[in-house]
Amino acid sequence: MALNSTPAIACIGIIGKHASSLPSCCLATDNPLHISLFPPHQDEDLDMTFLLNSCLDIFDLRARSKTLDQDLGLLQAIDERLAAYGWLTNTGIKFIIVVDMMGRPPPPDENKRRFPPVVGLRDAELKPAFRAVQTAYIQLMLNPFYSPDHRTPLQIANYGDKSPEITSKRFINELQRIGKIWTPGITSI
Amino acid sequence: MASGQKAARVGEEVWKTRVEKVNAELVTLTYGTIVAQLCTDYDYDYAQVNQQLDKMGYNIGMRLIEDFLAKSNIGRCGNFRDTAEMISKVGFKIFLNVTPTVTNWTADNKQFSLLFDENPLADFVELPDDGRAQDELWFSNILCGVLRGALEMVQMSIEARFVSDVLRGNDVTEMRVTLLRYIEDEMPPDDD
Repeated sequence: MALNSTPAIACIGIIGKHASSLPSCCLATDNPLHISLFPPHQDEDLDMTFLLNSCLDIFDLRARSKTLDQDLGLLQAIDERLAAYGWLTNTGIKFIIVVDMMGRPPPPDENKRRFPPVVGLRDAELKPAFRAVQTAYIQLMLNPFYSPDHRTPLQIANYGDKSPEITSKRFINELQRIGKIWTPGITSI
Repeated sequence: MASGQKAARVGEEVWKTRVEKVNAELVTLTYGTIVAQLCTDYDYDYAQVNQQLDKMGYNIGMRLIEDFLAKSNIGRCGNFRDTAEMISKVGFKIFLNVTPTVTNWTADNKQFSLLFDENPLADFVELPDDGRAQDELWFSNILCGVLRGALEMVQMSIEARFVSDVLRGNDVTEMRVTLLRYIEDEMPPDDD
């Protein structure tokens, strides 16, 4: 494939905390709060939703096996191209970043690649991105007009109401910025 | 401007030595919660919310002016221009640690604007996306009330209102202050 070989972020998912303690149960209620997609994956929302979903069990497994650090590092490599990294806040919010190892198509005017081709990614490379996402999330929570939803998706489905998805423009723009700016080796976003 | 510099010095001095500090997030979140709660209480009737904020501010200002005069130990202002400098460089400085720019005077020296480069009350805030808040809610309207209340206690009847706010997408946060009259016929000494 003729894509740039610098890894780039393909998707950032924010998953709410209604993690059921029974992952096998049909009431498992992790609720996606927000999913940002980046080119060339912007039309793959269904694929990405499945992918994010598949990561949730890994979160759960890791949570059982040992006490967790916030940074879970690599959750799973889906194929040669996509890999999912996870971050769990102490309040139970999960951030998942899916990295596309082939990167995104370079803009036409980009001067010759500034970064050498990267073969693998170290877990720590995603840290600045996760930190930035967490900062954005904190900013969102500090907004007095944002009310986080404490109902489970099942309750919402049953009693009807608007979905708890994040609609804040500032938050969404910030995630877009993070996703576009991140490259391996970046130290701060 | 001499009075401006003096005011700046006083403000700095009082801020450093005589003011008890409190965590900024505490103030911001408390104020934000109040506004958000008012919005739900008044069923998102933002005109009402503005009015309530102004009223609350008025009550704060009436009390705060005593504290202000005691701490700053400044005397009567010679004219409304001095008053403006005092508000910006001493008042806002010691209570919020910001110094809004005083500008846009009208020719009769009775109306000026305060431009807020930063507004500690509005950190983190993003107005509700309901299509009306952006046009109707003045998030920091409490400040207008504070000025009105405080100045009324020192014989100045003023009108203060916001005319733009960065929260609404404007470039600056601007408050317009108009001197209506001096109360009780207590005219200040002439501007030399």
